[in-house]
Amino acid sequence: MIFRAVEDADLIRQARAPSARGAIDAFNLLVSRWEKRVYNYLLRITGNREDALDLTQDVFLKAYQNLRKLDDPARFAPWLYRIAHNEAYSLFRKRRPEVDVAELEPESTDDGITVGGSSVFPLELSLAVAGALERLSPEQREAVVLKIYQGFKFEEMAEILECPVSTVKSRLYAALELLKAQLAPIKRGVS
Amino acid sequence: MSCSPFDLRDYFLKELSDPERRQVELHVRSCPPCREELDRLQVTETALFALREEEIPQRIAFVSDKIFEPSPWRRALAGFWNSSARLAFASAAMLSIAVVVYSFSRPAPAPVVATTTPAPAAVSPATVQQQIEAAVTQAVAQSEARQARKLDEQISQMKQLVAWAETDREISLRRQANLQRATYFSAQAENGERK
Repeated sequence: MIFRAVEDADLIRQARAPSARGAIDAFNLLVSRWEKRVYNYLLRITGNREDALDLTQDVFLKAYQNLRKLDDPARFAPWLYRIAHNEAYSLFRKRRPEVDVAELEPESTDDGITVGGSSVFPLELSLAVAGALERLSPEQREAVVLKIYQGFKFEEMAEILECPVSTVKSRLYAALELLKAQLAPIKRGVS
Repeated sequence: MSCSPFDLRDYFLKELSDPERRQVELHVRSCPPCREELDRLQVTETALFALREEEIPQRIAFVSDKIFEPSPWRRALAGFWNSSARLAFASAAMLSIAVVVYSFSRPAPAPVVATTTPAPAAVSPATVQQQIEAAVTQAVAQSEARQARKLDEQISQMKQLVAWAETDREISLRRQANLQRATYFSAQAENGERK
C-alpha cells in the first residue's frame, strides 16, 4: 500500500461523486483548507470582517454548486478566487451602483483600523501598512493582495481578474512603487 | 531605471526562472544601485507582512441539504454536458442510430420487372448487307412513289388552271364582240334619224 497526501484535485473528484454524503465530506475538507485564505483575501479587499465572512460563505456555496463546471481540478485556486472576486465586486456594485467600481475604497471597521493588527509588529507599522494599502486604487490593492499575500502567479492573477498579464503587471508595479515610497522608510525607521 | 539583466520586480515577485534568478543575483552582487533597489523592495514586503492573516471568525461547513444539493439527475446531466468527449460520443451514437432507423424505415425499392426483349442473336455480315439493301430499296421505292404522286397532282392542277384561263379568255372575247356589235347598231340608228 502506498500513502500519499490527499490533494485538492482528489477532493474535487470525490465532491463531484454521485454519493451525496461522500461528496459533502470531501467538499467540507476542501473548505477547511481554503476558508482562511479566501476570508483574508475578501477581508483585505472589502475591509470589513462581516462582509468578508458572508462573502466567504457565499463563495463556497457557489463553488459547491458549480464544482462540475471546473474543467481542470488543478486550477481550483484561481477558479475559487475568481468566484470570490466576482462576489466582492457584486457586493460593491449593489452597495453603490452609481459609483464606478474602480473608485471604491474599503470601508473602515468598527475599531478604526482598516485591516488586521499584530502583537508581534509595532502598532505604528500596522497602521502605516493599512494606510498605505488604503491609498492604493482598489485594482492595485487587489493585485497586491493576490500576489504578496496569496502568492498567485501572474497568469493565475490574470485568470482571476479576467484581464491580460500585462495589465496585472502594470497594476502591481505601480502599487509597488507607491508602497515602497511609503513603507520602506518607515520599516527602516522602526527596525 | 535598473541595469539588471531582468526586471528586479519580477525577481522580487518570484516570477523568474531559476537561470534568470541566478543571473540577477550575480548582477546584484556587483551593482550597488540594484542591490539597494532590491533591498527596498524586500523591506516593503516585510512591512506588508506586518498585517498578518486573521483567523476566520466562524468556520464554514456544509451539511447535506436537499435544497442546495443538485439532484442526481441534474448532476449527471451537468457532468454530461461539461464533458466534450462524452458529448461527441453521444452525437456520434445518435447519428448512427438515425442512420440505422432510416435504413430500416425507408420504403422498399420498386421490384425490377423482367423485360421480354430477346437477346440479340448473332447476325452474319451478309444478312446485315441484305437487310440494308432491302431497306434502301424499300425507301427508294417509297420516295419514287411519293414523287410520282406529287407530279400527278401538280399536272392536274396545271390542267385545271389552263382550262380556267381558256374559259376566261372566251368570256372576255364574247364580251368584246357584244360590245362592238352594240356600238355599231347604235351608230346606225343615229345616222338614220339624222337622215
